[in-house]
Amino acid sequence: MSAVDRPWVSTREPSGILAWLTTTDHKKVGVLYMTSAFVFFLVAGLFALIMRGELALPGLQLVDYNTYNELFTMHGTAMLFFFATPMVIGLANYLVPLQIGAPDVAFPRLNAFTFWLFLFAAIIVFGGFLVAAGAAAFGWYGYPPLSTKTYSPSLGADLWVIGLLLSGVASILGAVNIIATIFSLRAPGLTMLRMPLFTWNILVTSTLIMLAFPVLGAALAMLFIDRNLGGNLFTSTAQPLVYQHLFWFFGHPEVYIIALPFFGVVTEIIPVFSRKPLFGYRAFIFATILIGAYSFGVWAHHMFTTGAVATLYFAVTSFLIAIPTGVKFFGWIATMWRGNLWFATPMLYTMGMLGIFLIGGITGVFLASPAIDYAVHDTYYVVAHMHYVLFGTSVFAMFGGLFYWFPKFTGHLLDEGLGKIQFWLLFIGFNVTFFPQHQLGLDGMPRRIADYLPETGWTDLNLLSTAGSLLIAVAVLIFVWNFVTSLRLGPPAGDDPWGGHTLEWATSSPPPHHNFHRLPPIHSDRPVLDERLARQRRTDPAAADAAPAPSRDQLEGGRRG
Amino acid sequence: MARRTRRRGDIGLSRRSRTVIALVGIGLATAACVPEGVTDRGRQVSELYTWFMVAAAGVFVLVVGLLSWSIVRYRGQPGRDVIVPNPSRGNIPLEVAWWAAPTALVIVLVVLTAGVLSQVDARAARPAVTVQVQGFQWGWRFAFPDAGVEVTGTPANPARIDLPVGESIAFEITSRDVVHSFWIPAFLIKRDAVPGHPNRFDVTIEETGTYSGQCAEFCGLLHSRQLFEITAVQPDQFQAWLDEQAATTGEAP
Repeated sequence: MSAVDRPWVSTREPSGILAWLTTTDHKKVGVLYMTSAFVFFLVAGLFALIMRGELALPGLQLVDYNTYNELFTMHGTAMLFFFATPMVIGLANYLVPLQIGAPDVAFPRLNAFTFWLFLFAAIIVFGGFLVAAGAAAFGWYGYPPLSTKTYSPSLGADLWVIGLLLSGVASILGAVNIIATIFSLRAPGLTMLRMPLFTWNILVTSTLIMLAFPVLGAALAMLFIDRNLGGNLFTSTAQPLVYQHLFWFFGHPEVYIIALPFFGVVTEIIPVFSRKPLFGYRAFIFATILIGAYSFGVWAHHMFTTGAVATLYFAVTSFLIAIPTGVKFFGWIATMWRGNLWFATPMLYTMGMLGIFLIGGITGVFLASPAIDYAVHDTYYVVAHMHYVLFGTSVFAMFGGLFYWFPKFTGHLLDEGLGKIQFWLLFIGFNVTFFPQHQLGLDGMPRRIADYLPETGWTDLNLLSTAGSLLIAVAVLIFVWNFVTSLRLGPPAGDDPWGGHTLEWATSSPPPHHNFHRLPPIHSDRPVLDERLARQRRTDPAAADAAPAPSRDQLEGGRRG
Repeated sequence: MARRTRRRGDIGLSRRSRTVIALVGIGLATAACVPEGVTDRGRQVSELYTWFMVAAAGVFVLVVGLLSWSIVRYRGQPGRDVIVPNPSRGNIPLEVAWWAAPTALVIVLVVLTAGVLSQVDARAARPAVTVQVQGFQWGWRFAFPDAGVEVTGTPANPARIDLPVGESIAFEITSRDVVHSFWIPAFLIKRDAVPGHPNRFDVTIEETGTYSGQCAEFCGLLHSRQLFEITAVQPDQFQAWLDEQAATTGEAP
């Protein structure tokens, strides 16, 4: 494990901004990923606020039709490709080597290249706003013929195609790197069935990326040929539905590419804050693999209303996903059962995620029934559903993960008090924003409309939804403030502020360049907990059962005092 | 010691979680407000939705109940050095049960769905009225080939047609340019208008009234203005409307 046998180790480290530009350290690359992803989250969130402002009242107030169409297209594109996916890759970058006791990822230079390629791709897509005819304005899934040159002549649309293609390449390279790291760099004793659940989820996710993103690449390449080289692959005289099949063959696994890692995050947080090992470790792994596998068999449930797919077949496969997902819920609850629960911020966000994702999962079962989907497809019901799923995972679980691992990243704790205020604002704001949208969908409000008529009766719920979105904005701003101030001024965290179970808590905060000076012996999926138990038993056999809480003041009252 | 802390925690959190549960519960109940559906098929979809809602409420109450119970009952003191002694790591009968329970529920939902779906997708062998619907940027063109009637809408002046109640109607749906989706919310059904891929769905309208419709699949700049309106009337009134339209269509150059 010494640094000498690693050829990429340089003895002379650059400093300042140059260190960030030239780094191949997985932790710094991870931080770059997460920071850029968060910036895109803020930008795409701002787009959402403008849209909510526009929809608060009937008619057009803030923006014109084309701007509105650009906003929702770029909101979806940015949230999925430039926020959620890179946030996952950033977390994986930082944490997977630490969780498996490795000094870095398998291909550190490829890793750095992957990040810069992703950033380049994002800039290309956002560059659409700078060209005369504006950014892409055909929705984040860009169905032809609307996305062909005839109907979307703007150069911004080409930039969207090229940028997404490049970001797909970056995702594939990142996945290769993570898979290689997991298979080849695990510490001695850390067998596959002792890997932390977060790493397991990342392994399955990376496999999904490897299988799904090439299909997106193919679809986008063909779309590019249609647009610029006179191809006639998806135009009205050819087969526009083929694009939909290709896109959703990528698009549905993409949902799990975003969701699974955050399932992994909460599966890490719940045992630590229940002060118990995970209940049903192997069942969790099995359920994760099953969800990943099923995710490739359900794509056409996005196409029930095309009248061109085997509706009942895809309904059955879609329903099936509910089973392993339900099992995960039971596993999480069983882990908390008879535990000794500590509701610090990471656990609070995790509880929020469980409640919100539960509703998103339930409405997902409704949508999996083609007869119901015929009624609510492409309405605000779907908008509500997908935000319950995606916001529940990639935002609530992300904040849980950030509060949990921020001490590891920086050596400082985020402010618990502000974190709790932020949580309640976010939880209430989220539900006020998105819950009424179920009803709007049932009342007949379609997605992606810039305005509506007053006589539709949708005004009240839209106004409520817009009010809720302001609460979300305040909550996010509180986090930004908490983050910036805690970066240097937060209470010192120590190596292991939460009593973690997995290897990242066995090293210093932040970890040294090569992560570990020593590793604890690994005999289970929770080596750090094992070591702490052994130490307690050595020093005081009685204390292993009735445990004191010496760091309570430091954690709960440190900033307030 | 742990027990005393727990009791203190009980009061604060149970009230708070009870409020949250109540709010979400009320919200979930309002989500049941699916329109009843004014067609034969729409009524079935509405009933199916209600059955799903029953299952959903059961699952929601079970999961939130277990979750709330854990949150309230097992709330402990903060601090990093607490460890639960002798925790359970697995329980085979329990785990078999919670794989089996959702599986059973899924089977029920599949059966319910299959029954309704076959009726919703059913087509009349000889529909009383056939309406050809064509979507375009940004409006709808309705044609009644038997009567030689055509009605075309624009964003400023959406198409308005009459249709008879109590008779089987077939909508044949096509598109002239990009993908649209022909949707009447009160009928609880939509079907995409895909260029090069004709679609069809059938309904029998059961209640007279005026039903607004709108394009559901995003189709470009004025997607939100691609509206239409269907007025369901008695068959004889429909025939009168059709004759009147045929006369005006015929007059047009």
